[in-house]
Amino acid sequence: MADTKLVNLKINDRDVQVAAGTLVIEATRRLGIEVPSFCYYPGLSLQAACRMCLVEVEKMPKLQTACTLVATEGMVVRTDTDQVRNARKFMLEFLLTNHPLDCPVCDKGGECELQDMVFRYGADTSRFVEEKLHRPEEKWSDLVYYDAPRCILCFRCVRVCDEGMDVKALGVGMRGAHSIIIPNGGDHLDCEECGMCIDICPVGALTSGTYRYKTRPWEMQYVSTICTHCSNGCKTTLSVRNHEILRANNRDLSGINKEFLCVKGRFGFDFTTHPERIKQPMLRKGEKLHAVSWEEAAQFAATRLKEIHLAQGPEAIGFIGSNRTSNEENYLLQKLARATFGTNNIDHHRTADYTGLVTALGDRATDSMLTMDELYRSKAVLVIGNDPSNQNPLVGWQIRSGIRHNGAKLYLLNADEVKLQRKATQSVILGSTKEAAAVHWLATGEGNLSQELAGKLGALKSALEAEGELAIVFGSSVSGAAIGDLVSFASKLNGKIRFMVLGDYANSRGAADMGLLPDRLPGYGYVDHATASGPFARNWGASVPGKPGLTAPQMVEAAQSGKLGALYVVGANPLAHFGGQGVGRGKLPLLIVHEMFLTETAQQADVVFPAASAYEKDGSVTNTSGEIQLLRKAAEVMGPRSDFDLLRILSHQLEKIGVGKAFHYKTPGAVFEEIRKVVPGYGVQPAGLLTGGAEPTLPQFSKNGHAPYDVPVDLIRTANDNLFTSGTLGRFCTMMQSLPEAEAKS
Amino acid sequence: MELSPKLAAKFEQLQDRYPVKRSALIPMLMYAQDEYGYVTDEIVEEIARRLELRTVQVEETLAFYSMLHRKPIGKHHVQVCTNVACMLRGGNELLEHAKKRLEIGNRETTSDGMFSLEEVECIGACTGAPAIQVNYDFYENLTVRSFDRILEELDKGKKPAPTGVITGALHERNNLETPLISKRWGIKDSHKIDVALQHGAYQALEKALKHMEPAQIIDEVKKSNLRGRGGAGFPTGMKWSFVPKDSPKPKYVICNADESEPGTCKDRPLMEMDPHQLIEGMVIAGRAIDAHRGFIYIRGEYRYVLDIVDAAIEEAYSRGYLGKNILGSGFDFDLLIHTGAGAYECGEESALMESLEGKRGNPRIKPPFPAVVGLYGCPTIINNVETLSSVPSIILEGGEAYANRGTPKNGGTRLLCVAGHVNKPGIYEIPLGMNMKKFIDEVAGGVRGGKKLKAVIPGGSSCPVFKADEIDLAMDYDTIAKAGSMLGSGGMVVIDEDTCMVDMARRIMHFYAHESCGWCIPCREGTAWLRKMLDRFHDGMGRPEDIDNLNELAKNMLGRTFCPLGDAAAMPTISIVTKFRNEFEDHLQGKCAYKSAEALMGSR
Repeated sequence: MADTKLVNLKINDRDVQVAAGTLVIEATRRLGIEVPSFCYYPGLSLQAACRMCLVEVEKMPKLQTACTLVATEGMVVRTDTDQVRNARKFMLEFLLTNHPLDCPVCDKGGECELQDMVFRYGADTSRFVEEKLHRPEEKWSDLVYYDAPRCILCFRCVRVCDEGMDVKALGVGMRGAHSIIIPNGGDHLDCEECGMCIDICPVGALTSGTYRYKTRPWEMQYVSTICTHCSNGCKTTLSVRNHEILRANNRDLSGINKEFLCVKGRFGFDFTTHPERIKQPMLRKGEKLHAVSWEEAAQFAATRLKEIHLAQGPEAIGFIGSNRTSNEENYLLQKLARATFGTNNIDHHRTADYTGLVTALGDRATDSMLTMDELYRSKAVLVIGNDPSNQNPLVGWQIRSGIRHNGAKLYLLNADEVKLQRKATQSVILGSTKEAAAVHWLATGEGNLSQELAGKLGALKSALEAEGELAIVFGSSVSGAAIGDLVSFASKLNGKIRFMVLGDYANSRGAADMGLLPDRLPGYGYVDHATASGPFARNWGASVPGKPGLTAPQMVEAAQSGKLGALYVVGANPLAHFGGQGVGRGKLPLLIVHEMFLTETAQQADVVFPAASAYEKDGSVTNTSGEIQLLRKAAEVMGPRSDFDLLRILSHQLEKIGVGKAFHYKTPGAVFEEIRKVVPGYGVQPAGLLTGGAEPTLPQFSKNGHAPYDVPVDLIRTANDNLFTSGTLGRFCTMMQSLPEAEAKS
Repeated sequence: MELSPKLAAKFEQLQDRYPVKRSALIPMLMYAQDEYGYVTDEIVEEIARRLELRTVQVEETLAFYSMLHRKPIGKHHVQVCTNVACMLRGGNELLEHAKKRLEIGNRETTSDGMFSLEEVECIGACTGAPAIQVNYDFYENLTVRSFDRILEELDKGKKPAPTGVITGALHERNNLETPLISKRWGIKDSHKIDVALQHGAYQALEKALKHMEPAQIIDEVKKSNLRGRGGAGFPTGMKWSFVPKDSPKPKYVICNADESEPGTCKDRPLMEMDPHQLIEGMVIAGRAIDAHRGFIYIRGEYRYVLDIVDAAIEEAYSRGYLGKNILGSGFDFDLLIHTGAGAYECGEESALMESLEGKRGNPRIKPPFPAVVGLYGCPTIINNVETLSSVPSIILEGGEAYANRGTPKNGGTRLLCVAGHVNKPGIYEIPLGMNMKKFIDEVAGGVRGGKKLKAVIPGGSSCPVFKADEIDLAMDYDTIAKAGSMLGSGGMVVIDEDTCMVDMARRIMHFYAHESCGWCIPCREGTAWLRKMLDRFHDGMGRPEDIDNLNELAKNMLGRTFCPLGDAAAMPTISIVTKFRNEFEDHLQGKCAYKSAEALMGSR
């Protein structure tokens, strides 16, 4: 930035210095001077269509649009003259001629940019006495409705769909005063249903099928939290009335995703009120699960766990955690396993090899992690084994934005074609060859590849070698030793190389970071290494078992075959995922589950505790790029408790009967304080988090002389979620399930 | 879908013709519609497939153009022009008659599917008003009787002979005329290359290619004081000199033949009677800016003219005036004619380029100007037909000699179409600077029927009107501008004392509201509002405050719209409301006191 040329200009007699090339509208905003606009939208192409931003510029005879005028040295701009005020006033008068003044029943009333502008800049009377144009409202999908008369033709929706989403589902039809927005399916939309068009609409022309006519904006409370679906960690602001979530968006443009949300983030919240939600603790009595009191369920669970622990020892108990519960809950669960029960039998459904990346990077891990913002700013991006537009929507958005705004180059290395290919500089389609084999070839030049593929990979290699920096983003197919290959290949490239591994689910990274791993402690330290376990032992006042435990598939196998005495499952469905003998519990004596719905695993349980969703609790989560953000409780569903509460309750019950120490944390925040102290990489400053920001973790890892890293085949399993699925949650998102696009994808 | 061999061949030819495939979109839609009568879903899909577009892209483009239909229309599409020049000579009455005769309303089709009727905007037959088009055929100077005869013949399955050369182009030359670019008009088969060559065509090209450097060409054009004849009057030589010399991108020359300013019909005869002059001018322009490719964007209504020019282009290729190594000079130039599909806005240079790229005809943000970022983002010069047709004369006789034909800073001659209430409507080539009153009285034969002159639109309907006592003026760009109007595109409309100026303002606003592209708020909403207000006012439901409101709303559009279309709508409105306020006040008393136009019908 040091060599950016600066220009000085004067706006309303105030001096301002901006980088050459800055638009006057941005320069005015820098000074806090509002220049109204509808069509101008930072990040999208310029239109100069709404003419709201007309300003006076010295030596220019006509008013100029501040949204297209580039600031130049010595420019003198006025935004506060009678001429400018009049221009705005009459522009609004023109706009209102065909705009129905149905604000009292319009969804946008109260948060409508047109309403606000008329309030601030409009005339107090209307001279229009002619008949208004009218067209009936159109339903484009279950989620998107279009009301043409309200449309002010700012073309934001068309642009965000084309430029932002690369979906291009919207166009402009007719012309003149009859102009309208048209959907790609003739009378309906065939798209990704992201709802960005609704979100960006300044008026009530595009409305949401899940929100329309339900409430008024001022009747709701707004809670910003983190989307609970994929691992990208989009901030979402939930609009809540009477503890019910009615809408999700991110209109304040805060967070790592700014305004971006995909269909899941924007519309996938109705699982919270799904009729099949478990709302009471349940206990197996004979064949069936029966609703019981909290006391009965908790006492039963604690007593049985104690019995098995005493009878069969620590290694007879296994814990499988969740990749959508909070960091605090995950931390407490592993603490329960390690400190209370003395076992390392703890794991979770791993969808990406976070452990592998940190391990392969070693002491370089601290500064080699790629944040979402760095991904956007990267000049070159390599994606391996993933379809971001479909599996990791924010990653896709960041990559597309980087290409559009910064001219970033994109390289793809995938088994199949993906949508991002349209934007790629170079793309290698592997077909039946595994990504890991291709990476191995890149790193070593070894492998049995066809000549054609080797040629293509060679070209990719040369192109990557010519780049001055690289952001490497990869999916679950690059794991274990392949990550080692990738890191070793990258070490020969120029400039800064950063990595992001893409998992599924909202807190997959957090689950790994918090040590839901049989061989690693929170922060990835080896369980059998005293340097790593020492701080935990001291903090907990308990010894940390040194023997690595069972992995999730091993636990399920041991459970079904009767080798395990008890399996404690939090927010996961291991019998469905790993059940070698089907979804039955086999010979397992005790199964305890925290769940929201009666999943295959929950149906088999002895005790089921009703769990709150991420939208119903406080805490923190870590997205796939290792950025911590805070969850905030937005809604409440009577009955379920957060896993934090459930673990606390259980720990107290256990302490009462002489097993371990109760968890005395009053809030998840207190757990986070402990995490900050003891988990390597999590010593972040809380100020940024408390103000709604994301704080990158800085992994600190030492190999401590351990053997080269690898993982067993199939331990890392992608959930294969797409835009319209989200593991268990997706099955209970009624609105999303109803979309024809969702059906087409499945 | 299965295409007819003819259409399949046309598609094949079109889809590979342009540097960017999408450019073929509008011509493909037009030719497909010619065959099927309208654009079917299958055509949309077929074209989308061939041009690698999404169907919504095809839909949004085709929805913009008024000549493209998404629903079936009659076999004979009867399009009656009621824009100002035709209105003054009975266009409205002709339309009313047509409704009765066909027993259908505007934009309706007879039950047997034979006839559709549509009131259309200026079709470029102003000097032959009132005029209609049946499909692409022009029929001019109509009366009720001649109109009926046309319908009868069409009904019988015959095709009545359309008007050949535009009415009013060929006439006995007045001695005040100075034919230069119209010099070959009237010579039999002047559009054919052999005839054109016998009468001096391509001599300028030879001179330019063999004896002049590109910079010299630009210099001569600068010296000629040639100013754009399309309306804005920008100095042509200067425009050419803005093209960057070191651009690595290809450069383009575009001829704007989207003549559609109401009252203007001069480019039509220039192309139909002397296409080689235009081709010659374009090659010279290409040489001047080092462009190797040119496009003629012609309005969709001028299909027969397109065919004439297309044939001329083919002739020029076969004789080596186009193509590789022209006249052995080593200079290559390719030329293509491209049809529009009914959108006045595409006469605006940047909107034309969007349209030529197969998109909606919305104008672009300027700067950058086309000379730097034009067609396909490449440096482009775009000039009107008449401007480019003047280039060969400038090269031949020298810039100075050409300049001397006009007045200082207003070089040369220009074509004036004079329509409306004059005795001799027509297209005349006169030196710039001729007195307007003298022109109307002596060249155009004065006001018809001994009536008194009320007003004159000097250069197309976007120009502020002059009252009868304001026309003792030299017709050059600067004098007219000083007097508060514009020389515009040379479409003069003469209005007599029996004409209602409120009606005039109403009809003008109808046009601009119909043609507003819808991009920016003040033009889109302003023209629609003013149109409704003027309709109501003219119907006798005006309120006293409407008069000031009309004026003020128009002023609020002026200078604030995205492109000059808003100004074009506002300027005549302001001038009529200001200069004929008394007529507006009279309307407050009740219905319009004027007959809306002299009923020509049945009088011949």
